[in-house]
Amino acid sequence: MLADNPPASDSLGFYIHVPFCAQRCHYCSFNTAPLDATAMTRYLAAVGCELDLLGALAWAPRVRVETVFFGGGTPSLLDPAALAAILARLRRRFAVAPGAEITVEGNPESVTREKLHAYRAAGVNRLSLGVQSLDDAILRRLGRLHDGRGARRAFEAARDAGIANVSVDLMYGLPGLDPEGWSRTVDAVLDWQPDHLSAYGLTLDAGSLWGAAGVAGLPPEETVVAQYWRLARAAAERGFEHYEISNYARPGFRSRHNQIYWRAAEYLAAGPGACGFVGRVRYANVRATPRYAVTLEEGRLPLDTFEELTPRQRLAERLILGLRTADGVPAAWLGARLLCSGGPEPGSSRGWPAGGAAWLRDAEPLRRTIDAWRGERLLADAGDRVRLTEAGFLVSDALFVELL
Amino acid sequence: MTLSRIRNFSIVAHIDHGKSTLADRLLALTGTMDAKKAVDQVLDSMDLERERGITIKAHTVRLLYQGRDGHEYTLNLIDTPGHVDFSYEVSRALAACEGAVLIIDAAQGIEAQTLANFYLASDANLTIVPVINKIDLPAADVEGTREAITATLDLDGSEALAISAKHGTGVPEVLEAIVTRIPAPAGDPDAPLKALVFDSFYDSYQGVVVYVRLTDGHVRSGTRILLMSNGRAYDVQQVGVFSPDMRPVEELSAGQVGYIIAGIKRVADAKVGETITEAARPTAAPFPGYRDAKPMVFAGLYPIEDTDYEALRDALEKLRLNDPAFTYEPETSLALGYGFRCGFLGLLHMEIVQERLEREFDLSLIITAPSVRYRIQTTAGEVLDIENPSKLPTPDRIAEMEEPYVTSSVFVPTEFMTVIYKLAQEKRGEHKALEYHGKRVHIRFDFPLAEIVVDFYDKLKSISKGYASFDYEFADFRASDLVKLDILLNGEPVDALSIIVHRDKAYEKGKALVEKLRAVIPRQLFEVAIQAAIGSRVIARETVKAMGKNVTAKCYGGDITRKRKLLERQKEGKRRMKQVGRVEVPQEAFLLVLKS
Ligand SMILES: Nc1nc2c(ncn2[C@@H]2O[C@H](COP(=O)(O)OP(=O)(O)O)[C@@H](O)[C@H]2O)c(=O)[nH]1
Ligand SMILES: [Mg+2]
Repeated sequence: MLADNPPASDSLGFYIHVPFCAQRCHYCSFNTAPLDATAMTRYLAAVGCELDLLGALAWAPRVRVETVFFGGGTPSLLDPAALAAILARLRRRFAVAPGAEITVEGNPESVTREKLHAYRAAGVNRLSLGVQSLDDAILRRLGRLHDGRGARRAFEAARDAGIANVSVDLMYGLPGLDPEGWSRTVDAVLDWQPDHLSAYGLTLDAGSLWGAAGVAGLPPEETVVAQYWRLARAAAERGFEHYEISNYARPGFRSRHNQIYWRAAEYLAAGPGACGFVGRVRYANVRATPRYAVTLEEGRLPLDTFEELTPRQRLAERLILGLRTADGVPAAWLGARLLCSGGPEPGSSRGWPAGGAAWLRDAEPLRRTIDAWRGERLLADAGDRVRLTEAGFLVSDALFVELL
Repeated sequence: MTLSRIRNFSIVAHIDHGKSTLADRLLALTGTMDAKKAVDQVLDSMDLERERGITIKAHTVRLLYQGRDGHEYTLNLIDTPGHVDFSYEVSRALAACEGAVLIIDAAQGIEAQTLANFYLASDANLTIVPVINKIDLPAADVEGTREAITATLDLDGSEALAISAKHGTGVPEVLEAIVTRIPAPAGDPDAPLKALVFDSFYDSYQGVVVYVRLTDGHVRSGTRILLMSNGRAYDVQQVGVFSPDMRPVEELSAGQVGYIIAGIKRVADAKVGETITEAARPTAAPFPGYRDAKPMVFAGLYPIEDTDYEALRDALEKLRLNDPAFTYEPETSLALGYGFRCGFLGLLHMEIVQERLEREFDLSLIITAPSVRYRIQTTAGEVLDIENPSKLPTPDRIAEMEEPYVTSSVFVPTEFMTVIYKLAQEKRGEHKALEYHGKRVHIRFDFPLAEIVVDFYDKLKSISKGYASFDYEFADFRASDLVKLDILLNGEPVDALSIIVHRDKAYEKGKALVEKLRAVIPRQLFEVAIQAAIGSRVIARETVKAMGKNVTAKCYGGDITRKRKLLERQKEGKRRMKQVGRVEVPQEAFLLVLKS
């Protein structure tokens, strides 16, 4: 399937999923696996095979990897030698650009100066540190294994190890998190002077413990909204740009890898449950780590699902991803979304896609919606682009639903 | 065919007592369809009828029965609609028969529609064959039911046949009783043609197909017929019978039941109750009792998208071809734009029309709260009929308002009397009579029609644990102290949400209504104030807070598909909205008005 689907661009991102966690956090719905030595060994061998198989695709030689992102799970559980081996395997099979951004996600309790130093030696130049909060009571409630001081130590270890680009992950809207507690965490973390900050409002996802069992003590919506604005203001004062719904960066420190997602650009993926996008196809690997390993041991790529996007789906994705960012999207794309409603799509050989008739009907209401968003200053025009304002980010799904 | 070998009958029953099941049995026993083809309940042929288990249109089918006397009989079974909304149609279908099989559920006993049907059948001078059904049920009380038949209906309970339509027990005796007890039709085949129209439908190839019962004369292709109520004449193209599909025959003559096709273009030109005769030799007088079916309940129908207006008009026109009881005329609403005010026989009829528009014509509609027709005497001395609350003159121009009343029958076990009286009082019912029938009572109330159109029947059923049954008939207009209740969204009155209510109930109703609206109007980008007002006096208020946040924080690890799927599901689940001013109002908000 991947063989017949060459990427449109030569520059790609590369996502590598490391599923292992010492303990699963209560809010987490990602694909994780309990850490155990045998499983880890099998996993490492499997990822190696997967990189080989991907590298053997006919179009692989012309690909240039611009970013690599180790996500999890907890990638910082990787032994430096193992991480180095994966990167070496990747470099053997693909041309990794000299200035490529190579990120590892890490949890405070599993990083030390030595380990990070070794990571850096293997080529890692960006760390994304899962701090979430500096309040110990809250961290315990989340099921995290570190405390506030440990988070601080981990951050300093990264700097000591010479990692020049460090991002910190925070969460708000958490049970028991009051406005003061959030302000303390925000101010303290900003004092560390990270290069990048991600702040996620808690969602109770299906597949997480809290999603299934519920959780007490969630703050009211007004509090969550206030927490969003508290961070937005503090970050702005410290010179950060709020460049995506949940992301802030010092100038020059936006996440290059994540911007690939938001631009609906292409990336390859390896690891259990990892998702990739090449050509017109979005695909996902087998999620269960043992089955992932077995498939590769049998010499096959562990593809589980894939979907070829119709031109309309692609346009819708470009809009809903692009509008997540402060750059927004070209006004012409929004115009195309409205125009598309008017007739068959140019260059579409399959005639009317399924969504066609629905789009035709909703052109008028959508135009009204967009005008209303402008009127409420949730959407703004910037030259030939359209973007959401910070207030617009907060309610963005209400618009995205309409843009589908 | 000699008249003595024909029987025209109908089966009547309270809902669920087993009418369709018995009809199927009769069809199977007479070989009208071979058993394999006997799809369950063949007579309920519209999808809607099957789904709801209610017969909406009259159907007719011809059965050939080998009697125990050795002769072959033609039995014409005329199936009648099973809902109070259609009682005029029922009376016309019964007028085409000599007899009726009255089914009574052995476990449930006599109920309101058993009585209503019994009276309709007696009014039509029919011979009634009582049948006690479901004797296989453990709860069946055959003897008790016999006694109730003797006591309540003017019939001899000991003559009732005891059957199980489900298992077929006793069904052959039903056929035999139809032949032996129900009289053969009388009529003069040589007299001028006289035929009663008891139903009709529109067929896009053949035009209107008219169901007729001939009492005198005969008709065949080429006969020039005259419709007596409107004086129109047509040449007959085909006559035939249903067995159960349409089958052409040479001729229909006195006593027979069948169909006529005569190039009639609209169902409205050959309405139920019409008398058909020969143009050259008309019969002396038409059948008595013909009337135009009058709509009782009115509601606005609006397309959600303005662009569907033409499509809606075409669809209404097509529906009306087949259903002259339903009326429509264009109206405009400040809130909803261009639409139609439609009249229906009752709420079931309204739901049927709405469902057919959405299903068969693929339209998304807003239907406003149904209203009855009010009669207004203005200070200037005019009399106005108002079916749309927003058209009500201002109070200073109204001398008096009248609303339609119905007379009704409630049939219920004695232990539920107290709750029934309480409900009746809430609904402004006036008690008229009370009769004891063993463990059950028959209570007669007069109600304002507006109070019972909506959820009265459901409420009645639920407070009586399903035991109460109900039937009603339009009575007259009576003076009432009524006011118009307006709903405002962000200060703007929404005409389509206005209702007319009794003054004593206005406050309670207004409060309930704004609460309900708050629950269904989704949060928007701005705050929405919902107010209920009488004139300029606001009597209730609620607010829908502005949307605080609605955001997916994270698209993790590039799993865009998951995010898109989530949004797609939301989009599907999203209710269709109508933009009223700046506020998006979901479809169901307009109907909520009646449910509060
Ligand atoms: N046990 C039992 N159930 C029956 C009998 N006759 C009808 N029913 C059931 O009663 C329900 C209503 O029957 P139906 O013929 O649809 O009633 P209708 O509303 O009068 O047409 C159905 O579930 C039938 O299966 C019977 O003789 N015995
Ligand atoms: Mg039935």
